[in-house]
Amino acid sequence: MSEGVPLGGATAETGRAVREHHRVGLLAIFAAFYGLGVTSFGGNTAAWIYHRIVRRRHWINDVEFLSDVALGRIMPGSGGVNLTVQVGQRLRGSAGPVAAVGGLLSGPLVIVVGLALAYTRIGLSPAVHGVLDGIAAAAIGLTFATGLKLLPSGPARFGPLAIAFATVLCVGVLRWPMLPVVLCLAPLSIGLALVQRRSA
Amino acid sequence: MVVFVPLSLLSIGGGASLLADMEHQSVTVHGWTTPREFADLFAISRAAPGPGTTLSALIGWKAAGWRGAVTATIALYLPSSLLVYGAARLWGRWRGTVWHTAVERGLSPVAAGLLLSGGIAVLRVSPGGDLGRGNRGDGVVAALATAAPVGTFRHMRRPVRAGRAVVNFNPRPEATGTISGRVRNAQILDLRIL
Repeated sequence: MSEGVPLGGATAETGRAVREHHRVGLLAIFAAFYGLGVTSFGGNTAAWIYHRIVRRRHWINDVEFLSDVALGRIMPGSGGVNLTVQVGQRLRGSAGPVAAVGGLLSGPLVIVVGLALAYTRIGLSPAVHGVLDGIAAAAIGLTFATGLKLLPSGPARFGPLAIAFATVLCVGVLRWPMLPVVLCLAPLSIGLALVQRRSA
Repeated sequence: MVVFVPLSLLSIGGGASLLADMEHQSVTVHGWTTPREFADLFAISRAAPGPGTTLSALIGWKAAGWRGAVTATIALYLPSSLLVYGAARLWGRWRGTVWHTAVERGLSPVAAGLLLSGGIAVLRVSPGGDLGRGNRGDGVVAALATAAPVGTFRHMRRPVRAGRAVVNFNPRPEATGTISGRVRNAQILDLRIL
């Protein structure tokens, strides 16, 4: 797989290899996503999943991750939960998503209701807001770092890079609706991948 | 909690219309929350960890206690999750074919673009990045200050620690928006980040 668009160095091809060597336990999946759930402040679950599941644990590789991100965003529902379902499915078939999503949501569920309780009793102080804003900034930073890290690289990168920048321009800067943009750019990009594969 | 099941399937793209629908259903149709309570719950759900749509759990909790919270969460996530699971399974069947590889690789740059766009979208509504509040710089500086070390160190080891450092340097904590301000801004945002 040296042709095409190599991504992310060491982790790029390790996902499946790790999975084939030893099956990841359901409890491990639950624990990993539970830890991720209760610490993933700031909203963008995908960036946290990349950091914890791909970079740290190498359970899936960069290409698999990105493919799941794209599908998770264009399907109905929360992009983060959809991504979690797919990662779980890759890891352990039908039981994987149950463990992963259960882990992801159970912690925040308790925390958010606890916060609401605390809020109705005492209200949220400005200091708390300050801390939360700092954490949110960190999450935004992490999101940018993840996106930049996963930009296409390697000798055949120019076409895919153009696609990535077009996506950022349309969705991020011009704020066009995401679905039509993806439905236009994805076939283009897939066609490009096919052509590059053939000429490689 | 019949309300959240259709919402689950309607919220394509992270739910541009999800928040508005949720508000309509819980405030106007069912009277579970007042508009003011809804705004507060929204702010709380954004402050908590986890996927942004934990708001549904809060509305469920408001309406029917703990059981409501759990039911609302399941109702919101289960249908879409089943759909994605089905798609993922179907997809896995073609693993190893030329098409499978091409599609996964073709989706990569689009997904990277979407991640960056998500970052821009959050930055837009985040405190310090508030539109028209005149202190946009804070949020940008904080986000970049975090992105730089986290992105540069090859293993991206400690985003939270980097973030904590940023918290300590948060230049103007008093510049943070009020709850209603946040909700207004979040409504400008098309919630693609959820």
